[in-house]
This record gives sequence, C-alpha cells and structure tokens, in this order.
Amino acid sequence: MTAVYGVTQFEFDEENDLKNYDVWFCDLAHSSPALKPLFVLHDWLWPGYRAIQRAYEHLSVPTSTGWDIRLIDGYVYVSVMLTSDEQAKERSVVFRERIRPFIEDAAGLWDKRKFELMAAYDELKQSYGLTTYDSIHELSNIQMLELFDDFLQVVSLQWNVHMDYFIPVNYLYGSFETMCQDLLGIDHGHPLFARVMSGFDSKSFETNREIWKLGARVIELGLEDTFKQIEDAVLLLEALEESESGKIWLTQYRRFLDVYGWRCERMLEWATPTWLEKPALGIPSVKMAVTTKGVSTTDERRKNAYEDRIAAENELLSQVPAEQREWFHTLMKAAQVAPYFSEDHNYYCDLYIGALGRWITREIGRRFAEAGAIDDPEDVYFLVASDIQKTMIPMGRVRLQKRVEARKKEWQGYLATNPRPLLGNPAAMQEVVRKDPVLSPAFAIPKVREELKADLYGGGSAPGVVEGTARVIMTEAELGELQPGEILVAPGTSSQWTPAFEIVKGIVTDGGGALSHACIVAREYGIPAVTGTQQATQKIKTGDKVKVDGDLGIVFINR
Amino acid sequence: MDKVIYGCDEMGQDDSEKVGKKCANLGELTSAGFRVPPGFAVSLEGYGRFMNETGVRKRIDEYLSSFDADPSRTSDMPRYEEASVAIREMVEETPVPADIDADIRDRYQVLCEAAGGTDVPVAVRSAGPASHPGQYESYLHIRGADDVVAGVRRVWSSSFNQRSLIARARQGLDVVFDPIGVAVLQMVDAKAAGVMFTTNPASGDAGQIYIESNWGLGESVVGGEVTPDSFLVAKAGPEILERTISEKKLWFVVDPATGKPAYQEVPEDKKKAPTITDEELLEIARVGIKIEEHFGGAQDIEWAVDVKGAVPESIVFLQTRPAKHVAEKKDPIDQALDLMMRGF
Repeated sequence: MTAVYGVTQFEFDEENDLKNYDVWFCDLAHSSPALKPLFVLHDWLWPGYRAIQRAYEHLSVPTSTGWDIRLIDGYVYVSVMLTSDEQAKERSVVFRERIRPFIEDAAGLWDKRKFELMAAYDELKQSYGLTTYDSIHELSNIQMLELFDDFLQVVSLQWNVHMDYFIPVNYLYGSFETMCQDLLGIDHGHPLFARVMSGFDSKSFETNREIWKLGARVIELGLEDTFKQIEDAVLLLEALEESESGKIWLTQYRRFLDVYGWRCERMLEWATPTWLEKPALGIPSVKMAVTTKGVSTTDERRKNAYEDRIAAENELLSQVPAEQREWFHTLMKAAQVAPYFSEDHNYYCDLYIGALGRWITREIGRRFAEAGAIDDPEDVYFLVASDIQKTMIPMGRVRLQKRVEARKKEWQGYLATNPRPLLGNPAAMQEVVRKDPVLSPAFAIPKVREELKADLYGGGSAPGVVEGTARVIMTEAELGELQPGEILVAPGTSSQWTPAFEIVKGIVTDGGGALSHACIVAREYGIPAVTGTQQATQKIKTGDKVKVDGDLGIVFINR
Repeated sequence: MDKVIYGCDEMGQDDSEKVGKKCANLGELTSAGFRVPPGFAVSLEGYGRFMNETGVRKRIDEYLSSFDADPSRTSDMPRYEEASVAIREMVEETPVPADIDADIRDRYQVLCEAAGGTDVPVAVRSAGPASHPGQYESYLHIRGADDVVAGVRRVWSSSFNQRSLIARARQGLDVVFDPIGVAVLQMVDAKAAGVMFTTNPASGDAGQIYIESNWGLGESVVGGEVTPDSFLVAKAGPEILERTISEKKLWFVVDPATGKPAYQEVPEDKKKAPTITDEELLEIARVGIKIEEHFGGAQDIEWAVDVKGAVPESIVFLQTRPAKHVAEKKDPIDQALDLMMRGF
C-alpha cells in the first residue's frame, strides 16, 4: 500500500482491491499528465468522487452502486461497484421513476441547473465584494481563508449538479447504444451512430467564433506580419503596445478575456494559469485563427454536421422496424443530450469554476510566497488544505518548503511514469462495461482487432479516414507548435484545445471514449479521430506519417 | 311480422337484432358503397318461424325436459355432446316452411343469374345477434338451391352445437331457442385473402394499418393455420412501412377432386412469393381507412382479391367488426423504459 501525497483516502490496497474488484482502469483522459495534490485531492477526487456515488444512489442505478476510486502513482483509477442480480432488480423499480424525467427533457433540466451554478459563482464573488479581477488582493487573510472554504462548498455544489446530469445522461446514451447494437448491429464506432450524435451547438463553439473574430481583426488592422514574425506570445503582446493598431487590437482582446478568459490552461486544474491572468495563453489560439486569415470554418462545418445529423437520424430510423420507431426516436433524442451536455458543461462546470479556483489559490500562493512560507507562488499547488489552514493566519511563522519539496519530487516521479492503463483482469473489462452503461462512453476501452493489423486501436472514434504528419502535443502550452493540416496526437483534449480542431486534419488520443471532448468536437468539425488508444503519445513521434481511420477506430504508423 | 329475407343493401349496422351482427355490418358496407360480394340474409324471424311453425322447437323442448346436466362439470360434457347430436338431427331432418324455402331458392336464382352462371358457389355463414354467446358454424362453397336451403338449416342447427348449448346453459339463457341470422354470399374465387386491422394491434398506433395475407381463401389466415405474409402500412400516404414475406406452406383452396375447400400444400413456386402486389396492398389499406372512418372506430376486416378483374374491382370485403385486443397505445417513454429494464 502506498499513500499518494501522504493521503490515505485513495490508497490502493493491491491485495484486497484486486480481490474485490476484477479490474481497475486508468482515467487517462483526465488524470494524465499527473495532477498536482491541491487540486486532485480537494476538488477532483473528494467532492467529485462523492458526487458520483451520490448520483448513483439518488438515481438508484440498478447494476452499480457507483464507482470506486484509487490514486495510484499519481493517476486516477476507477472501478465499478457492481450489484448482485437481486439488488439490481430491487433498485430498478426506483430507477425507472428517477430516470424518466431525463428521457422526457434532459436538456431542459440541464439548462435550468446550469444557471443555478452561474448564480452560485456570482454570489461567491459578490459576498466578498470581488468586483474586479484584482480586488481579491484587498481581502484580509481571514477573509481569504473563509473564501477558500466557501469556495470548496461551491465546488461541492458544482460536482453534485455535474454528476446529477452526467450519470443519467450518459446512462441513456449507453442504453441507446445497446439498443442500436441489439436492433441494428450498430455501435458507437459506426459512422452512422457518430453522425446522429453530432451537430449540436454549445458554449465551446461560441468561444471559437470569438477567437476567430480576433484573428480576422488582426488581418484587418494589418497586424498579420507582427503575429507571424514574433514567435513568443509575451513579446508579441509587448510589441502590440507599441503601435496604434496594436493597441486597438489589445483593447478588443481584453474585452474578450473579460468574458472568455475564465479558463484554466488545463481543464479545472488550478495549477495552470487562466487566460485572464496570463493573456499570452490565448495567443496560440489567435495565431491559429490568423493562419486561416481569420476565416472560421466553424459555422460552416457545424451547419454541415447539423444537416448531416438530420439525414443520419432519418437513415437510422428507417432501419428500425416501424412499430419500434417511436420509442427508438424518444430514446435517441434523450441520448443526443449526452454529447450536447458533455460540451456545454465544460463552460459551466469545468472552465468557470476551475478559473475561480485558480484565482483564489493563486492569491493564497502569492501571499504565502510573500511571507516566505513557500518559495514560489506556484508551489501552493503542492500543498493540501490543512497546510493552508495551518499557515494563513500565523502568516510568516510557518515554513512549508520541506512539504513542498517532498511532494514536488513525488509528483515529478509520477510525471515520468507511464501509467498502466489496466490493473487486474483485462478480460473482465467488457463485462463491467456491459453492466454499467455510464462507463463505456465516459472511458475508452480499446477495441483490439488483431486481424486489422493496426498499430493502435481506439475506444472511441469520429468517422472519416485521413493520412498526415503527426505532432505530439503533451500540454496546452505547446499548442502553438501545431501547424495547419497536421494530425494532433495528445494524451486527451479539453475545451481549451477546441481552436486546434479548426486547423488539424485528424486527432489521436491516449484517453477518452465516445463522449470525450476529442470525439465530440472532431465529429462537429468533420475530422477523423481515434481516441482512447492508451498509448498514442508513447508510440507516435512528431513527424511520423500516420493514417487515422475513424471509421474503423484504428491508427497506422509509418516511419 | 318481420321480413325473412333481406338483400345486402336492405340492412344497416343497426339491424343486428334482426339479421345478426355479421349481416348488419355487411349490409352497412354495401349500403355505404363498399365492394361486398352479392348475397342476401335470412333473418332471425326466419329462424323463429322455422322453429315454431314446424314444431321442432316443441320436440327439442320435450327432448330436453328429461335432460339433466351441469354445464360447469367436466364430467357432464359428454352428455351435452349427446344432446347436441340428437337435437341437430331433429333440426336438420325438419323441412323448412314452404314460403321460406321458396324465397331462399328465388334469391339464390337471382344471385346465379346476376353472376351469369348456374349453381354458383356461395358461402353460408352464421350471424349471431349482438350479445349472443354461441359459436355458430359456417359452410363454404355450397352449390345448387337444394344445398343452399340445407346449408341455411345447418347454420340454424349449429345453434345447438355442443359449445353453444353449454355456453347458454352457463349463462342461464334459454337453451331451446337461440335465434340467429344467416348470410348467403357469393364465393370469391380468391387469389389471396386475409385480414386487416386498421390500428396496429401490437403497438396500438392508430396511424398504422396491419394486414395479413395468404394465398387462396381467407380461412387459413383467420384460423391461424399458417404464417401469413404481413404488412404494415402508414395511413398517411398510405405508405408501405414494412413487408414480411413468409414461407407459406398451406393454403385453403377448393380441391378440384372433391369440389370442397380444404387445406393443401402451396405450390413450390408460390411458397416464398408475396401473395399480394403493392398496388393491391395499398388499395386494401385505402378502403380500410374509409371503412374505419365510416364505422367510427378501429376495424378488424376480412378481405379477398379475386383472381378475375383488376384493382380496385378485384378487391372485395367479406366482413368488418370493431377491432378487439388492440394494444393500448403505450407511451414511447414507457416502451423505452421497459426495454431498459429488461434483465433486471
């Protein structure tokens, strides 16, 4: 047994945990590269994990009482607490009643609650008089401590709402996929299925449109050469201050950041800066827009995806026996909320609250570094909540450098480790996925088909076939290196990567299933993708020629 | 006193107590202009006059005065069988009153002349009035006036078959006297025939028509002896939604050797072939929609396609009645939930 970051809450008991669960699998899409302790312990795992159990319990999901979670070598592993047949039967009675409103109108229910979340974020800011980004500096230390605790309450609320929707909506998606398999022999990898699940607008496309508007403005103001010549984003921003047209552009960029800058570089991870805090972070995305002369294909491609979906829906329905068509249509509509929710919730559940967390914890880091409790403000992410509670008021009397050093070293060790995708019996995976319909769209289980002689097999895909040059991008910070027409290879993608979909030809990821960000957005943009290959970033090198076959969910590498 | 013989165009759906349900519905179809084979009906009055004027009712009464059996006891069932045989013999040996006999012969003659033949085959079918529990009998492919009269009498006598005797005894109804109507309809030389539900019976979807069809006479479909072809048609259009062409092993058809209809093996080349064309199917459905509209509710309709003539003249309707056993239309959400809960 090894506690991670000295915390025993999620420690893996190899003997017992492999006896009680057949298989554990790594949540590569979310937890790779390794997350830092403050975020993973106090946001991602605890309230997040409890919210999953709460949602399973509230819904009374028949086949499972939820997921169990371990932190192994810095990576998050998940297994399913399967029920017995008798338990499943008993739970199904309540489940039937509780899942029903989600079949009736899941999208409507979500739209209501997402505004409840936005209101909670606003209230948190207002109750501390935080009207501007910099006003947080004016809070006293005790206010700062209270703000941190209150923020953790909002994090809990966020996770509850998040999982109250994620679980039923994914369950319905999984159920619909099962029905498609039973009735038509079509699974999520089938191009027709993928087409039926795309063509939905969401908050993340709105951001892309705005970024491309900024790109178009660069061209209009005659700043294209400046953007192309100055590689470093910070130097570019400085250079823009020098000219009148540059200043005009910067004013527009700041206005953009006020609304859309509430986004950490990586998902919710507080350890990564927001665009608001480091305006240079948005520049690679704007540069992508400039390479296309500011001409966005988002709307056109999305219109195509929408029209294609209507055609695909009709095609799918025509294959269903007439007397089955009505319920099939009803379930299809409910299942389609899953990809919409998956993209839309990014803004309300992930980006915004992640940015709030960054804002608050970074301020704590700043104060701690100033008082000498830590050496660098960014070291705050190697602390845990009890360290913050211990230090905030006796500021200057506490030294946390040793703790930081130990945990940083531990984290660096995890970072250098390639997590094992599965622990236990891989053969048990299919059974677990079959029993918990929430699981398969959320996590990738590669469909290995030796007869295809591919180099990588995906667990999710977006249709189409493409060949091109690979570029391996491990973190969002490297996105600027991406060239138009390349094949993006990454551990996983999230909202912050959406601009890249405008310029790449294909996508391959380590983690992520049929409802992962990479899959959903690739479908919206009509780009072939293979996700959940588990080892794309290990096997593929930048410059490799790769063939991405999204129809079959496989990848070939040619050196 | 009521009339004994009614032409098909002289009856309507309110005449069930005069001529029986089947005749009333056929009369309604004919009067409304739907294509029904030519024929006539013998009313309940005819049954009553036969039973009373010939004294056969009295004889049955006498016979039953010494009959003692309990319709709820299985061990008494053979006694009903015995009584049925004896009573039916009495009925079928009794001559029909002369004027009724003559009227039936006249009407049959008119039917033959209209059809341009002699001894034109007819179906003699029972038509119980609403609320009667009996299960009466029908006879197909009857030819010649003597046999038609005998056929009518046999239908009357079927009101004394074992099942009908027991059913009346169990319900405390008069066992001796159970007036029913008789329909005499020209036989259709059916290429194919079958049934139509104007509401999808499986789903209860009122927007869909379900049709079953087999080669030959419709009895093979009604009797459930074969797996017929089945079709689902959307009323909107109408548009064919589904065709299920099954392997038909048997058909009910007139055996040239005996002149009687019987189950026979379907010729090899017809077994897997569709029994009706799309044109025929759509015409059947189109008329089905109109029949349903006319009667104001989902109908269970028997139809046939004549070997002669072309659509629409070739398609005739032999019976309609309110559709029973139509599934209550299920909420699609419940259907989806039912499927999701499978296996729990």
